[in-house]
Amino acid sequence: MSPVEFAAAFDEFVDARLEWLSDNGAWFFDGLNDVLHAGYQAIYNGLTWLPFWAVILAFGLLGWRLTASWRFALGTMLGLVLCVAMGLWPQTMSTLALVLSATSMALIIGIPLGVAAGLMPSLDRVSEPVLDLIQTLPPYIYLLPAIALLGYGPGTALVATFIVAVPPVVRLTSLGIRMTPKVFIELGQATGTTGWQQFFKIRLPFALPSIMAGVNQGLMMAFGMVVIAGIVGSGGLGEVIYGAIRTLDIAMSINAAIAIVILTLILDRMAQSATRLGRRAVHESR
Amino acid sequence: MNTASDVAEDVLVECQSVWKIFGKNADTAMRAYKERGLSKKQILQDHGCVVGVSNVSLKVRRGEIYCIMGLSGSGKSTLIRMFNRLIDPTSGQILIKGKDIASLDAAALRETRARHIGMVFQSVALLPHRTVLENAAFGLEVRGISKAERHKVAEQALAKVGLSDWAARYPDELSGGMQQRVGLARAITSDPEVILMDEPFSALDPLIRRQLQDEFRQLTKSLGKSAVFITHDLEEAIRIGDRIAIMKDGVIIQEGSAEDIVLKPADDYVAEFVAGISRLHLVKAHSIMSPLAAHPGLDASRLPSAGPQADLDALINLMIGSGGDALAVVENGQVLGVITQQDLLRGVQGAPALEQPAPQAEHAL
Repeated sequence: MSPVEFAAAFDEFVDARLEWLSDNGAWFFDGLNDVLHAGYQAIYNGLTWLPFWAVILAFGLLGWRLTASWRFALGTMLGLVLCVAMGLWPQTMSTLALVLSATSMALIIGIPLGVAAGLMPSLDRVSEPVLDLIQTLPPYIYLLPAIALLGYGPGTALVATFIVAVPPVVRLTSLGIRMTPKVFIELGQATGTTGWQQFFKIRLPFALPSIMAGVNQGLMMAFGMVVIAGIVGSGGLGEVIYGAIRTLDIAMSINAAIAIVILTLILDRMAQSATRLGRRAVHESR
Repeated sequence: MNTASDVAEDVLVECQSVWKIFGKNADTAMRAYKERGLSKKQILQDHGCVVGVSNVSLKVRRGEIYCIMGLSGSGKSTLIRMFNRLIDPTSGQILIKGKDIASLDAAALRETRARHIGMVFQSVALLPHRTVLENAAFGLEVRGISKAERHKVAEQALAKVGLSDWAARYPDELSGGMQQRVGLARAITSDPEVILMDEPFSALDPLIRRQLQDEFRQLTKSLGKSAVFITHDLEEAIRIGDRIAIMKDGVIIQEGSAEDIVLKPADDYVAEFVAGISRLHLVKAHSIMSPLAAHPGLDASRLPSAGPQADLDALINLMIGSGGDALAVVENGQVLGVITQQDLLRGVQGAPALEQPAPQAEHAL
């Protein structure tokens, strides 16, 4: 078999599998798409149902609460006003809704998985290479199979974004759980803690900074992917940029890029501050 | 409780020929030792296993401070971790208040650890995200005691170690010595019968260390607790311990009171440790005196007198104070012997008058 023949046969095999999956798994993927779309739509509707100034004010207040810096709060509001002024408000909110829904999914699945991997070295040995693979493949790769199975639209963008956001969450959670200093494990045992107490009172507080770093990283990865996902009709700023590239509308692409930078900076700073607050909250609630 | 302490030998912790062998084939190595009596070297060569603790038997009684002294790698940390089963012994039994700790199920083991055995670590291990008070109350928190109650008990414990004013601070705001006091307060908050001290003062500077040693001994005695105290410092063991065990290569090579060990070291290894130890408070009159008959010129009734338990320091003071050159050792009005200046100097030097060590110790090297 020549290389060309092999490649042809291999491609045919992959295509056939994918076709089979989309034929026989239609009920599953349609259902998945509906669920994802509904989640995204709910957040988006919530953000656009409110007048833009209310959302901006809410962001300002939240930023002030989290960072305790009025400068950051003011910057947040000015940045968002700029998005409105550029005529990109609905797109900005759409991107925000995508990032939030994809990141929440990544956290809901990634944190428990990371905890399990952190506690069970055997699971970690399996999950590590899988995460490596996900992270080494160019993110574009996830768009095509997703489009074949879920169709054109935010559902596909969500899945691709989720896949990209999940590895740092799992990895840093697992690392955090494994990093508990040995003497504190001994302390827990010597004090007579149960397994749950050991986890919540000792391992988790030590792991929290690492877990929150994972949340932050996941969020940033999601931002990166959500723009790329403009190609598959994600809507929002990603699609604006993709459209601008196709029509060589440089001004518009720069506007959208500015809006993305503003949104990313705001969420990054807020997530970092939430990390600090979260650490204190865990210790006070115990 | 009373019935237990009425028993003459109220043993809280007992080890019966305990072994710990590290490595994959620990059990085969153990069997090989029992059947063929392999040496440690052979066990390492044939089975790739390291012997951590080898055939240790000991008893810690109620109210006693038991020091285990050894250098790093002597197995002392492994041994102490078997007392609360942080490490399982490969062979042998550990009895806590007469109960084999290996036979306990998970819940009973937790119970024993929470109520009967406290532990203090060299690195203190205070939870950094909790206040001093919350750290001190940790043991009670784990047992599900209400916040008000556990904080009350923890406050009392902090008062005992002199840290009442620091309850609301975080560990990183405290000095090393203060942190270790919190570690001690955490251990006594749970009111255990035995406290395991894993080199608690090793990382502290010398002045603070001495201060904490004295405080620890006083506190333990006043609370009537027992303690197993691990250290690499013989001087510390002597200051703190009622009994001292010296460990080397996983074996206890000598066990006894501080005086026993300093005056009658079991072998050259112990002798070498003992060499630098000040004898002023260890050596007692009865062990350096010579019989009255050996000094026909002395009239014991005219000499200043001291009890047989008076230490060198007191004897020197007495002799200098009296201006004479001999003392009488008197108990219940009977003259047991006399101490001359020579005897006293020999005592300080470490060579008891009657038991001159044979010079063979040097040849053995």
